[in-house]
Amino acid sequence: MFIDTIETKMASPITKETIQHLAKLARLELTPNEEKQMLADLSKILAYFDELQTLDTSRVRPMTGGTTLKNVFREDTAAGETNRGAGVNAFPESKDGFLKIPPVFSAEGGSLPGRQAGASGEETT
Amino acid sequence: MNTSLRNLTIKSFHDGLVKKKFSALEIAKEFFKRIASTNEDIGAYLSLNEERALSDAEALDFAIGEGEKIGLLAGVPLAIKDNILIKGLPATAASKILEHYRASYDASVITKLKNERAVFLGKTNMDEFAMGSSTENSAFKIAKNPHDRTRVPGGSSGGSAVAVASNLAVAALGSDTFGSIREPSSFCGVVGLKPTYGAVSRSGLIAMASSMDQIGPITKTVEDAAILFRAIAGKDRLDATSVETESENFENAHQDELRSLTIGLPEEYFVGGLSKEVSSEIDQVIEKFKALKFVFKKISLPHTKYAIPTYYLSMPAEVSSNLARFDGIRYARNLKLSAEGGSASGGKTENLKLEEIYLKQRGAGFGPEVKRRIILGTFVLSSGYYDAYYEKAQRARALIKQDFDEAFADVDVILSPVAPTPAFKIGEKIDDPLAMYLSDVFTGPTNLAGLPAISIPTKPSSMLAPKELPVGFQLIGKHFREADILGLGQLYEEIK
Repeated sequence: MFIDTIETKMASPITKETIQHLAKLARLELTPNEEKQMLADLSKILAYFDELQTLDTSRVRPMTGGTTLKNVFREDTAAGETNRGAGVNAFPESKDGFLKIPPVFSAEGGSLPGRQAGASGEETT
Repeated sequence: MNTSLRNLTIKSFHDGLVKKKFSALEIAKEFFKRIASTNEDIGAYLSLNEERALSDAEALDFAIGEGEKIGLLAGVPLAIKDNILIKGLPATAASKILEHYRASYDASVITKLKNERAVFLGKTNMDEFAMGSSTENSAFKIAKNPHDRTRVPGGSSGGSAVAVASNLAVAALGSDTFGSIREPSSFCGVVGLKPTYGAVSRSGLIAMASSMDQIGPITKTVEDAAILFRAIAGKDRLDATSVETESENFENAHQDELRSLTIGLPEEYFVGGLSKEVSSEIDQVIEKFKALKFVFKKISLPHTKYAIPTYYLSMPAEVSSNLARFDGIRYARNLKLSAEGGSASGGKTENLKLEEIYLKQRGAGFGPEVKRRIILGTFVLSSGYYDAYYEKAQRARALIKQDFDEAFADVDVILSPVAPTPAFKIGEKIDDPLAMYLSDVFTGPTNLAGLPAISIPTKPSSMLAPKELPVGFQLIGKHFREADILGLGQLYEEIK
């Protein structure tokens, strides 16, 4: 039980399956040994967070920035020089300044066959 | 040339250069000679910039010969933490996943320093992606404390602190998310400043936790920290959180206003867990300030004990987002694997192929602490846990900041230890993440609150007893009041 308010969800400690699911979501391949270690470490670290449970935070609003930030406005004008294309040299494969990757969607989905179908992403994205 | 690199500060380098005691090229060469003989053992640098540094120094000497007027940082040999981009140079952040990466642009702080004609000797060792307090998480090499090579230099900016402390650079840049400039500065006996959040542009800093990361100087003297800070501070259109700071003369310690500052001592920072060595050193610092007739006040920062859990919930969430960009394709650990994946021919398995690249490259490219934080961050942000963990931490963060706001209604500056102990042994805490996290208990709260703070050695390294390890004390200022802590720090340096 980490946090009272959602006891039902939190009652069971983090399991091996949780770790496997999170690793998949985070796109990290873990060895069985790493999974075991991760489970041990995370259980300990999460237990340490129990301390926060005791704290009444109902009267404050969540703080997301390093300071209390305000909106900054500027004219929406072109800034001239950009760094577009500078990263292309580092791509393992590129075509016309775009990064070449294996297809994101299967060929049956209507995209072109083979690697030419590789969804191109602009290097700046 | 008989100039010793030992006591070379930004100030004395500049004076020597202007008075033609030496040339910028001579000093740069001398540094590379020293680096060549010591770096392999001490592990300060991950890569060097020798060719370009020497040609920049030579060009500067030529310009001086032509009568060009130069600024304080011209020709100054600097070490730059490897998570700060210098165009064309490696920027690995001490991670295998960035082993082959070359920066495609300059960080804004580097642009500013280039305009000042500073010379960059190389990129320094660090904990992988700035995650750690000992530099033991570097994927490439161990960095050692110059005062005792069986001990850690602190982290994550360990290489930068070692470079300055062992005279392998005149000064350095580090980054600080929860103490990563100040803790290694304390362990290595040098000065380290974490500026107010927003005082220095983060553009070109490889992001760890964007709401707390700040770039700052690591130097031999407080005066040098002031010089370097002034050069890199200011609003930058490439970082929307950056702000213009008042242009003050940080280097002038003799202002009457400084004498009237009230210093606060937070009771929560002087309790159990503080080692005897640190405690007695800090007491002596307080006595010295008292002898100068400074007024001290006891203050309370009641939410201090929540700072570490708050940080280790907020930071991993930011880490899991920020490190998602390391997809194993644009930033590849194994270039061959990416190329093979990219050459895969048609068929149903292709979707899996792409995912496999991500899984394998990231699995092999990130070290254990980075993986731990990514998984933890993914967990605290996942549906069902977000409110209990992430949002709870964001609210606790507001309370921690409120503590400081209230304290600063009573005092102008806060004095405290930097770390609970002097440098610990290499290997001592590496298998116990929680013990490692506790090294940051006095430095971290200021990052959560966005405040400026500086670590200053309690005494010069030359005055340490045999086997005595350096210890730093911390001065925390109000938002954008770097002038206060830099000023007090310079006063302190003059009295000891």
